[in-house]
Amino acid sequence: MTDRAARGDGLDRFRDLTDTQDPRVRDEVITSHLGLAHQLARRFSGRGEAHDDLVQVASIALVKAVDRFDPERGVQFSTFAAKCIIGELKRHFRDRGWAVRAPRRIQELYLEVGQNLDRLSQELGRPPTVPELAAAIGTTEDAVLEAIEAGRGYRTASLDAPDASSQTMADTLGSEDAQFGHVDDRSVLGAALGALPERDQVIIRLRFIDGLTQSAIAERLGVSQMHISRLLAASLKQLRASFADDQETLDA
Amino acid sequence: MSDRDDRAPSDRPEVISLSFPARADLVVLARFTAATLGARAGFDVEEIEDLRLAVDELVVSFEAVQAGGTVQLECTQAGGEVTITCHVEPGGPPLASRDVGGEELWGADGELSKQLLDALVDQHGREHTERGPSVWLKKRRANVTR
Repeated sequence: MTDRAARGDGLDRFRDLTDTQDPRVRDEVITSHLGLAHQLARRFSGRGEAHDDLVQVASIALVKAVDRFDPERGVQFSTFAAKCIIGELKRHFRDRGWAVRAPRRIQELYLEVGQNLDRLSQELGRPPTVPELAAAIGTTEDAVLEAIEAGRGYRTASLDAPDASSQTMADTLGSEDAQFGHVDDRSVLGAALGALPERDQVIIRLRFIDGLTQSAIAERLGVSQMHISRLLAASLKQLRASFADDQETLDA
Repeated sequence: MSDRDDRAPSDRPEVISLSFPARADLVVLARFTAATLGARAGFDVEEIEDLRLAVDELVVSFEAVQAGGTVQLECTQAGGEVTITCHVEPGGPPLASRDVGGEELWGADGELSKQLLDALVDQHGREHTERGPSVWLKKRRANVTR
């Protein structure tokens, strides 16, 4: 038996399944391809969704792929399943990208604001004003403000997608880690940072302890200023929640 | 496109008063008001983002010790400066574990808030007024004399 056949990729197993509808065969085929689901889920990790959730989405897609696969089409199951799983993972990100569902008009405007903000910042050598952004996009100042506010609804950690960064935040932040030692952690903020993921700690430190502007942090980390803004807002929210929890524990 | 130095924010004070239940999900009202005034004051987008974060800090830290109350917010914009004063009318019992008569009124995370606001705005403070405790902040556009 070949490796492929051993893991149930052989068309014979699917013919058996088609003929018998035997749930044990179905389970066997699914189980033997779970590694593919895990592998593809890993490729989508680090974009703001819990890895376990991605594995679950990928696994459900795998089950659907097994049920839909037609062995007579002459395509290997692994090829078919990978396409199905990737499609499902992409849909998952598309649907979950906005934690608070914003109207499509606002979502699109938000992306336009982000693109023009970066471009104008470079052209002007400083962040643009709201009227300048509105003029560049061809919309009203109110709409720009509405889009910026709506940006809070975008999941902070899945920012790689709209910003289309060529590298991940994790890649960029690696160089910052070595500088942690110089920061005075005796401050309340420094002490509270432990509640945050490492990536968010770096950004909070750069903004509130080192005193860098959002633009400077964005430039240093190779991401957009709006990206940093969203991460800061989410991190502060998490910091407050964590601090309140700790305080309630102490009070109790 | 106008050069930033050509911006001419009105010197006549614009005042917006807001009143809303002290709930975290309503802080968006304060953020949006602050952002609008910041835009009118000629703030750039980054200054507006900092102002929005500061307003979050201002209101949320207060909300934490006065759950059930009503947030009274007064936002003023004049001459490239935005001032926001936050006061909370108690509407329910404060959190039982907090001593609302003393410094604890500001919440155990007061020092944390202070550190964050230091980085986000030009000035901020907390004081006891006739209406009770209040917190305030001032933020000026960057090219206004500090």
